[in-house]
Amino acid sequence: MKLIAGVDIGNSTTEVCVGEVSGSGGFRFLSSASRMTTGTKGTLPNVLGIRSALEEAMDAIRRPVSDLDLVRLNEAAPVIGDTAMETITETIITESSMIGHNPSTPAGAGVAAGELLSIRNLWKGRPGTSYIVFAENRFSFEETARRLNQYIPELDICGLILQADEAVLVENRLSRKIPIIDEVKHIHKVPEGKMAAIEVALPGTSIRMLSNPYGIATLLGLTAEETRQVTPIAKSLIGKRSAVVIRTPNGNVTENVLPAGEITIRGGQTVKVNIDAGAEEIMQSLASAGEIEDIEGQPDTNVGNMFSRIKSGMADVAKVHGEDIRITDILAVDTLAPVAVSGALAGETCMEKAVGIAAMVKTQHLPMQKIAERLENELHVKAVVAGVEAVMASLGALTTPGTTLPLAILDMGGGSTDAAVLERDGTVRTTHQAGAGELVSMLIQTELGLKSRVTAEQIKKYPMGKVESLFHLRLENGAMQFFEDSIDPRYFGHVVLLSPGEMLKIEEDIPMERILEVRRDAKKKVFVRNALRALQAVASDHDLKKIPNVVLVGGSAEDFEIPEMLTEALAEYRIVCGRGNIRGSEGPRNAVATGLLLSYIGSRT
Amino acid sequence: MVVSRPAIIIYTDDPDEDLLREVLSGIEEEGVLYEVHSHEGDLDTLAYDAANESMLGSGVGIAGRRLAMQMYRLPKGKNVYELDHPFFWQCRNLGANSARAIKKMPFKSLTVCPDDQSGS
Repeated sequence: MKLIAGVDIGNSTTEVCVGEVSGSGGFRFLSSASRMTTGTKGTLPNVLGIRSALEEAMDAIRRPVSDLDLVRLNEAAPVIGDTAMETITETIITESSMIGHNPSTPAGAGVAAGELLSIRNLWKGRPGTSYIVFAENRFSFEETARRLNQYIPELDICGLILQADEAVLVENRLSRKIPIIDEVKHIHKVPEGKMAAIEVALPGTSIRMLSNPYGIATLLGLTAEETRQVTPIAKSLIGKRSAVVIRTPNGNVTENVLPAGEITIRGGQTVKVNIDAGAEEIMQSLASAGEIEDIEGQPDTNVGNMFSRIKSGMADVAKVHGEDIRITDILAVDTLAPVAVSGALAGETCMEKAVGIAAMVKTQHLPMQKIAERLENELHVKAVVAGVEAVMASLGALTTPGTTLPLAILDMGGGSTDAAVLERDGTVRTTHQAGAGELVSMLIQTELGLKSRVTAEQIKKYPMGKVESLFHLRLENGAMQFFEDSIDPRYFGHVVLLSPGEMLKIEEDIPMERILEVRRDAKKKVFVRNALRALQAVASDHDLKKIPNVVLVGGSAEDFEIPEMLTEALAEYRIVCGRGNIRGSEGPRNAVATGLLLSYIGSRT
Repeated sequence: MVVSRPAIIIYTDDPDEDLLREVLSGIEEEGVLYEVHSHEGDLDTLAYDAANESMLGSGVGIAGRRLAMQMYRLPKGKNVYELDHPFFWQCRNLGANSARAIKKMPFKSLTVCPDDQSGS
């Protein structure tokens, strides 16, 4: 009787599996456990995580760790992935010239154009001129309304801009109905004496005049050249409930294309591609370069910096230098990022084009032997490095009920998407592709304009709902969930993520439908595309139809919707594809650790 | 036939007039109707009775310089918000929240001053 443990160190989790081999060669799985990986994969700090995972697994069968006879570590794939975002357009406003925002309660409705006049200078107004008045929040709503009412019979006051959230309060006290916009944070930047146009849409509709370049031209009397210049303003106001556009003589709004830099792909032939060209072009260049030797980015761009960051990160881990570390794959994805407009008055943002890029570095091998030695010293149990990760994962995946050879696995982790095909004759082909869970998180974060990456991770992981009353929430699929005890009022009206055990509030005010769309889109863009790319690389003759079944393993295979997306996408090629169920009980986790134990038995007999 | 208006009910017991005015402004800005009546009982009772009386299920109790916001079907004493000698802006936001509870919009903060939030 021997107790054996298999240990799989991944980018984000360390998984172990413990089994018992009897003298006659019989074999029984006893327990398994998983822990966060401590430190970068393949470095000595990993030992800490391995120990605590082993302790947990041995605790479950009430045996001390010292009872183990052998620990088998995987030869981790020497691959590290990272992501970066490059914004390629930028809207610049020289001199503040627009406000377009969605205060929750603007008042009145309609369109107005006139000269800007401060509420303090109402007495300077001349009859016969149209005015749009603005008021700082030091004037109470009563004061504002009183002053306006005093001058309304005399002056043509046709619109109002407020700093405080008091539009409805002022409107209810005015003797004439005019469109009013409130919650304009930087009201001190509003230039008095300039022409402005203001629009408030009826409830349930969005503005029409100011989101149309010709509408702005009509209201402010612009020439054809000026109309061309305000087009970015109109574009950024689409879908708003209210807006102000101010005409400043020297004011200018331009949509710049930022120099995002070049990527140089060195392969069968060297190809240079500009990041501005977009994801499609970059991926085509990648395909046309043939077998990739290395990829470089222009220094001092986000992507260039990311490339050198992961290269030096890998150099630290693997203790090798220069030539041996190469970027072998990238995945580029087009996206839109809300970027704060410089010169804006109410903190408005403009959707700018951006490209998200995931890259992957590869080296000869990671110093796994050192980890095995350290583990042996600390636990006094023999530890060996055995087996290549992809082969072990295939062996483990084969324990999923309903699978047969030839078998393909798709290991979807945090940093990379790996695929392997195990043929009947025992040959294995593997590939590592850049782009996985972390790229999805980055896309979600940028497209929704979230402050923290953690929130994006959570949006990726958990389904959501909207708290509609203190006793129920509406889930993203339309179903309702009711509660015995009232929900904390802080959650009221917010979109919450349903993590096991607690609700997580999303601070940003984004409609649930929008989050849902962005989340699904990001997952599809990354995983469906990468799955096809990876499987094509390992399929014999690069023909997808020659792969009969695909087992999904790894952290992202546990996701609540990614496996279904892939099952659907691969059904087109008549491939049986689904989430793995290792040993019929473990789900998509523990494939490598299980494979390590199985290969031990294989090597003995 | 007795028809009651869909309104937020505010039950008061010797209320501070300035605080009451701010609460009403908060509700008005959100565009919801309200009714103010004087009523007997402690703060919890005022708020609880107001919420149960309101056709919209949202009520506010004000006793002196203490305020509570309550919603229909919440147990008595378990007020959604409670304020003791608050600032004006807190009262304004409490009023807004009693309206937002009906409009199913996220509540405004009663702990972070809007001027601090903006960072200006």
